[in-house]
Amino acid sequence: MKRLTASIALAVLAALSVPARAQEIVIGNLADITGGTGDVGKPYADGVKAYTDHINASGGINGKKIKLLQQDYAYKIPEALALYKKFKDQDKVLAIQGWGSGDTEALKEQVAKDQIPYWSASYSAHLTDPAKSPYNFFCAVDYSTALRGALKYLKDNWKESRKPKVAFIYPDVGYGKAPIPAGKKYAEELGFEIVGEENVDLKALEATTQLLNIKKKDPDFAWIGGTKVSTSVILKDAKKLGLRTKFFGNIWSADEGMPKLAGGAEEGYMIIIGAALYGENVPGMAAIKKATNNQPVVSHWIRGWVSMMTMCEVLKAADKAKELNGPGIRKHAEQLKNFNTQGLTAPITYTSTDHRPFMSVIVAEFKGGQMVKKATVELPRKQEWIGF
Amino acid sequence: MSVAHCGDFRQSYKDDMKVLETRFVRVSVGAFLVLLYVFPLFMSNYATSTMTTIGIAVIGALGINIVTGFTGQISLGQGAFMGVGAFACSYFMRILHMPFWIAMPAAGLTTAAVGMVFGLPSARLKGLYLAIATLAAQFILQYLFIHMEAVTGGSNGIPSPPPEIGSFAFDGDRSKYYLTITIAVLAVLFTTNLVRSRDGRAFIAVRDHYLSAEIMGIHLFKYRLLSFAVSAFYAGVAGSLWGMYTGYISAEHFTIAESINYLAMIIIGGLGSVLGSIFGAIFMTLLPQALTVGTGALAQTFPKIGFLIMSFKDGVFGLIVILFLIFEPDGLAHRWRQIKAYWKLFPFSY
Repeated sequence: MKRLTASIALAVLAALSVPARAQEIVIGNLADITGGTGDVGKPYADGVKAYTDHINASGGINGKKIKLLQQDYAYKIPEALALYKKFKDQDKVLAIQGWGSGDTEALKEQVAKDQIPYWSASYSAHLTDPAKSPYNFFCAVDYSTALRGALKYLKDNWKESRKPKVAFIYPDVGYGKAPIPAGKKYAEELGFEIVGEENVDLKALEATTQLLNIKKKDPDFAWIGGTKVSTSVILKDAKKLGLRTKFFGNIWSADEGMPKLAGGAEEGYMIIIGAALYGENVPGMAAIKKATNNQPVVSHWIRGWVSMMTMCEVLKAADKAKELNGPGIRKHAEQLKNFNTQGLTAPITYTSTDHRPFMSVIVAEFKGGQMVKKATVELPRKQEWIGF
Repeated sequence: MSVAHCGDFRQSYKDDMKVLETRFVRVSVGAFLVLLYVFPLFMSNYATSTMTTIGIAVIGALGINIVTGFTGQISLGQGAFMGVGAFACSYFMRILHMPFWIAMPAAGLTTAAVGMVFGLPSARLKGLYLAIATLAAQFILQYLFIHMEAVTGGSNGIPSPPPEIGSFAFDGDRSKYYLTITIAVLAVLFTTNLVRSRDGRAFIAVRDHYLSAEIMGIHLFKYRLLSFAVSAFYAGVAGSLWGMYTGYISAEHFTIAESINYLAMIIIGGLGSVLGSIFGAIFMTLLPQALTVGTGALAQTFPKIGFLIMSFKDGVFGLIVILFLIFEPDGLAHRWRQIKAYWKLFPFSY
């Protein structure tokens, strides 16, 4: 026992005393491994890590290695804040790969003040407005754009002469509510009839009450803005109640693991995805296959990979211009133009007035237990949509 | 006089009311206070901001100890009350343009009023039933945080402007620390005196035997309500400071988990003890951080099983808390008294 304690103490000491070498770029990573969103947070963090290993093995940032400090904050804001202070003061990180809406929102003001660029997986539209959150970036369509894209796709494929009816189901939390005003407005513009709105909690175990209301109104389409578990509950209950409504949902509402959870009820469920699917025939897939030893990963993993890839591209440019600091990284990020992610996502562009990476929304659907890509909807980069 | 009498030889009220009885205690408390104030000068910003969170936790824990530890009313709403304070303080500062020095006490009073409303069930309910009633407070307030968008910014949250004196803004780690620690010291002092006052003794009487207390002429409902108000006031102040600390307030923070965290603090620290609130706050703030940093460092050393190590964190946390409850059921304050007694009687303890 004593020896075990001693060896653990030694390991901790060793870990604490590794000095940062001069040719190293330190990046912090706030990840949720064990918390409320750990089921999707872990693959995302794995993707971030995998890309870091990949770039370190292939020359790093112009010869400099990246040291990625991954820390689990378990989706708790105080822990995220404490870790952020540690990243900033002790580890002196250059930039941060963050995760959910809680930590990103709580740190938004501070990263702007401390000038630490922050790539997150919280795709709230208001993070795309540099006037409000100058140091926040991400690599997917924001929640509002995703919902608009889905609505446009549904409208474009609407054959009947009457107005299509749409309902919105979402959890009563920031993440769920974020895109609803934008979605409703755009739905009306497109000529949808909005027939209902229901709240289903993220931790709900049944949604019969809400779905009976939906059934009465009999919409053609219903948006689900939840996460995997609540989506599977809604889909299963909808099947049980015999709804004819076609459900569609956002980026976190389902992934490749959905068929296991929903047991067939996911058939025909339409989802917005943010990146290529594993095994897709794009140039960037080769490196991913190598990194994962040909073991399929979910699309969240690939988004983590792309997020780190984009950050590394910016770091390279900033390093080349000898501007490897917070404002420098932001400047070069905002000069990123049509960055080619090797087909894993649409080309990424940030400007100093617009942090929306791209406007193409990928629509996929579950068919026979598989997630299948259906179409890509290209939306205009409208100025009035920034931050809404 | 640096030693205490071994019996009760106090002859005047003044003697009886002394908080720090001997010179040794006075000197060490003084030295500790000095240490608190020079601490940030030679510590990193990270350590300083950790101390700030401890200071906030001390205030919150003192609050819940007054209602739960001293008055015996289990409260599961401390987290939500902190939220009320944080949102109220920000609202007063942004919309009503009050300076922080007025907004913070005003936020405390607002929270005290809210606490009294949710303390009303204590007129009829006791024990677990009251705990459930305060649980309702937690959820009702959480609902309001998301839906009173004009005040709370809804689900997006709102910024919390820093306090200012003239042109000096409290937005650095050190200035936030000094502000927090000063208020925390004042809160400790106030609580120590409160529980020795007439009202404080009434709280303890209500806790120990409410029937006897009522027969002695203590108005049960009044004192229960008062304890809820005082407790909520502390929560409101702690919440205001939390808003200052983060600069941004979001409803996602003030959940039931936060309330339980505070309850755990005083259980681990020691129910009905001022010192216990401090120990509990330190313990419950530092332990998760130590575990996070420790597992993170281990994960860096063994990258292959990094995430596996990180996943042990919550388990280890739970284990430590359980071990504490088994081996230290009266809280850290009790252990502290034992250590003190050991040294006092050294080497002739009996």
